[in-house]
Order: sequence, then structure tokens, then C-alpha cells
Amino acid sequence: MTRSPTPSTPATMPTTPTQATALAAAGLSLGYRSAGTVVDRVSLTLPPGKVTAVVGPNGCGKSTLLRGLARLVAPREGTVLLDGADVSRLPARSLATRLGLLPQQPVAPDGITAADLVARGRHPHQRWFRQFTDADAEAVSAAMSVTGVTELAERPLDELSGGQRQRVWIALALAQDPDVMLLDEPTTYLDLAHQVDVLELLTDVNRRDGRTIVLVLHDLDLAGRYADHLVVMEDGGVAAQGSPQEVVTAETVEAVFSLPCVVISDPLTGTPIVLPRPRR
Amino acid sequence: MIPGDRDALVLRGPRARVAFRLGRRSTALAAAVWLLAGGVAVLSLTLGRFDIGVTGVLRVLGGGGSLIEYDVVVRNRLPRALTGLGAGAAFALSGAILQRIAANPLVSPDVIGVNAGAAFGALTVLTVYGGTGLHTAAGALAGAAATAGAIFALSARRGLSGYRLVLVGVGVAAMLTSAVSFLLTRTDYHRVLAASAWLTGSLANRSGLHVAIVTATLAVAVPVLVVLARRIRLLELGDDLAGMLSGRTGSGRLAPAAVAVVLAAMATAAAGPIGFVALVAPQIVRRLLPDRGALLAPAAALGALLVVAADLAARLLFTPVELPVGVMTGVLGAPVLLYLLARANRIGHTG
Repeated sequence: MTRSPTPSTPATMPTTPTQATALAAAGLSLGYRSAGTVVDRVSLTLPPGKVTAVVGPNGCGKSTLLRGLARLVAPREGTVLLDGADVSRLPARSLATRLGLLPQQPVAPDGITAADLVARGRHPHQRWFRQFTDADAEAVSAAMSVTGVTELAERPLDELSGGQRQRVWIALALAQDPDVMLLDEPTTYLDLAHQVDVLELLTDVNRRDGRTIVLVLHDLDLAGRYADHLVVMEDGGVAAQGSPQEVVTAETVEAVFSLPCVVISDPLTGTPIVLPRPRR
Repeated sequence: MIPGDRDALVLRGPRARVAFRLGRRSTALAAAVWLLAGGVAVLSLTLGRFDIGVTGVLRVLGGGGSLIEYDVVVRNRLPRALTGLGAGAAFALSGAILQRIAANPLVSPDVIGVNAGAAFGALTVLTVYGGTGLHTAAGALAGAAATAGAIFALSARRGLSGYRLVLVGVGVAAMLTSAVSFLLTRTDYHRVLAASAWLTGSLANRSGLHVAIVTATLAVAVPVLVVLARRIRLLELGDDLAGMLSGRTGSGRLAPAAVAVVLAAMATAAAGPIGFVALVAPQIVRRLLPDRGALLAPAAALGALLVVAADLAARLLFTPVELPVGVMTGVLGAPVLLYLLARANRIGHTG
């Protein structure tokens, strides 16, 4: 968060993670009652203070993995570790202030204004008898200014464009002020310019506060450009992980996505670009 | 002050240990509507077969007046007005809670069968066991709880929201209505007359007991809701975000839903299953404050106003015949239900 120039309330500043928090899964299996096992014995460490993108074909378990990491799906086997501690043993409030997840299609009550929605991200920092403090106010205005939605504060969410709406949701996730932010397909339904916008915003957030960010993405080129670390999933398991240059190879893409392709280096950034081979 | 939210008003205690946030407009609306409801209630004390006048009513309430005046005002009209205010507020609160946590305006206790369950329970106690007073309240509570449990269990496979809950609820309500009809056929004539007036929702012949039932219910439910309001705001964001921001897995809906069921059950025990108040009051608030949703405090005030006003109209419009208050709320509320259904049909969902 940006530090306010007035030093009047130093004690109530939002807590900026000083030491980046590590989230890891150890032998994690996840599933739903009706669907059987979706994620099968996955072990991975999400590099602290970095941006990780989870990619993979539709239905490979990316969203479920994210929800499992966030404790929204109970593990069938294995554990999720937050700084080495089993998250299933963490107290609710402490988990909610350290780990945030923005679902793929979050729902908002009808007619709610952007400011009201962003302020709801402060829930874990509040109590029923202490519903709004100066720290909350600062976190909310910082989150709105970082995401550039300050001007939209009083507008109802339904009236905003898709890109603006996504920024408001990210502002809510920022207002929660977690050490690790998980985002499930934050760029879905956005045009290319707005996809880049959202990813720039998230990498900015990561650089500024050293927050660990984990995103599910579909676009391999954008994932390669914006993520420090890539996790490629296939059929509920991890097919490959590492830096984009290591992971995005023609062999991996062909094996995981069944897509014959050529991988070239982005002339602007040197990150990998996937060019599908023409079918005829 | 919440950034970018000029409507928000934060009341703080010393050193910010305690801070409550209110909406300016919703607080103003709630206060204004409560005043209006109180005004109509006082007016209802003065009007009727014996017109007494405000000064007369005040004299009686102050301990003066003739014995007949005392009987009319304190024994008859006062419990009626108080039960109306309390039951209206309880129904509306119940509707506002359920509509918000299910994110569906049709999920209100009168539509999904909670009121019908309470009525069935109370009527079973009345007719089969010949119980009265508090026994009926217990019957209503048991009936409503069993019905709500059944509806939630039958529709829970895909969460609380959506048409599923409404459809299951409407089906259960229909079954309960036939069960009530069956009970009435097995009962003697005089009880049937009393029971059918009560089944429409009636405030005739209320006593201190009915006032006590709604007052006690509200006295318990309102403080609980002050604590739970935060959670209701969270549940509106859907299961994933609610789970994430509270840090808890599993449904946090149980406690608010239970409060809503108790409110509807006790209001039904006190005044009969007055229809449409729970459905309509929160929807009116939503239209008046479109960016704030169905807020609890203004909804409660509106429910109270609707019931006392409808009861006054039901009592006066067709003198010497008195209509049960449920007939009036039905006449006023049915078009709103039709509108919501038509709108849901048009936009493909009920939100």
C-alpha cells in the first residue's frame, strides 16, 4: 500500500507484508462429492513474493486447486501449508487476513456501489462492534486508488464496463490486504487491452508490496509475459512447473494441450510465445 | 467516513474500540417509517365502532376515561395495534434476511412455505390437542422449523439460492395447505370458523399474550441480528467470497436463516400467516434505496406500517363487517408477487 504522507496515524496503517508468505501444497488431493477426484496428489510451492500463473486445458482442475489452496474445498488427502503451518488448523480470522481468493465469477448484490463493495473486503479486519476504523478507511481508499476506481466509487457496479468491474473486484481483494492473493481467471471476458491492464495492475501490486500472487490464466503468451513462475496442470496433476522459458516448450504444449505448435521468443520481452501450427 | 461512500455514517465510541456503521438514508427512512407506523397505530386506537379521539385515547392511556373506553382502547385496540406492529416487523425482517442470503426476492417465508408450516403446526395444536396460547406458539415454531428444515434439505444440493429453493418451497407450501384443509374437515364447526379467520391472518381479539409473543421474539432477534448483520452482508457475496473473507468453510447461512424462521413462526403464532408482508416490505425498501439492497431496519419499519395500515383499512372500509388483515395484505401484495414473477420470467433470473 502507498504510505500516506501525513504521519498522524502510523499505528493504523494497513499491514504490508514485510516477509513474503509462502503457500505450498503437499500431496494435495481434492474432489467434490459428485465429481470424484479433481486434483490428484499435487505437491507444489508457490514462490513467495512472486507472480505465479496456473495454466492448463479446460477441466484440468486449476480452479479446484485454487479453491483447495484457499481452504474452500477440504482436502481428501494431503495438506496446504501457509508459511509451513497447516491451513486447516489456522484460526478463521488469521487465515482470512493472510489469504485471499477472487472467484472466477463473483456475485454482488443488486445495485451495490463500487465503494460499498470494496469496503466489504475489510470484513476479516472488523468485528460486529468495531465495524469501521481509520485503518479500514485507509485500506479502502488505497485499494481504490491503486486500481484506479476512485472516480467510480459511487457508481453502481451493474453500470460499469467489464474492465471497470474487474478492477473493482481486484480492489476488494486488495482491501482485504492478504499476503497471498489467489485470482481465478481475472482476465476472462475482457478484451486484450483490458487483460493487459489487469495483469499490469497485478504485477504492480506484486512489485510494490511483495505480495505473493497466484492467477489462473488461459492465455499462455500473457502468462509467460507476466508470471515469474508457471504451473502447468493436466488431468488434476502438475505436468510441469518453473520459469516460463523453461516450461513453455513446443513439447509441453503439445503434450498438455494436444496442440501442435512452435514456440518463439517474444521480440519485446524475450518471453515465450506459442504459435499454433496451421491445420492445413 | 468510508471513502467514496457519502451515505455511510460511522458512530464511534472512545478510542475507536467500538464503531458502528449506519447508512444515513436507511436510518432516516427507518425512523420516518417507524414514526408513520406509530402514527397509524395511534390513529387505529381512536377509530372504530366507538370513535374516541386522540385526547380520549391519551386520557384512557393515562389511567382516566370510562370503563367502556378502557375496555375498547386498552383491552381491544391496543393489543391489536401492538401485535400488528410487532408481527409486521417480524415478518418483514424474516423476509429481508431470507431474500438477502438467498439473493432471490421470491425466497420469503410466505412464498416458500415457512408461514404455512407455522400455521399447520399451530393449527394441529389448536384442533387436535385443543391447546391454546403458548401451546400454539410452540406448535407454530415446531411446524415452521420442520418445514424450513425439509425445504432446505430438499433444495440444498446446489446451495440455498436459485429457483430450486423457491420451487421446492412452493411445492411444500401447497402440500401444507392441503394438510390444513384436511385438519379443518376433521374439526367442529365453531373451531373451523375461528381457525379460518386466523389462517388468513387476523388481528381480531388479540390479547396481552400475543403482544408478549411478538415483543419477546423481537427482543431476542434484534440483538442477534445486530451481530449477524455483518455476516448477512458477507453472504450476499456468494459462497466462495463469504468463505474466503470469513475464513470459515461451510455455510454461514444457518444462523441467519434460523433467526428468519423463528421470526416468521412467532409472528404467525401471534397474528396468523399474514401473507405478502415478508415478500413485499423488503422489496419496497429495495426500490426506495436501490444502491443499498433490502436493508433490515427500514424493512422492519415498513412491515410494521403495512400491517397496522392494512388492519386499520380492513377494520374500517367495510363496516360493520371486519375483514381479516391478511385479506388486505393479499390484495395489496399479490400484484407485487405477480410483478416479480413476470420480471423473473423476462430477465431469466429472480434477482
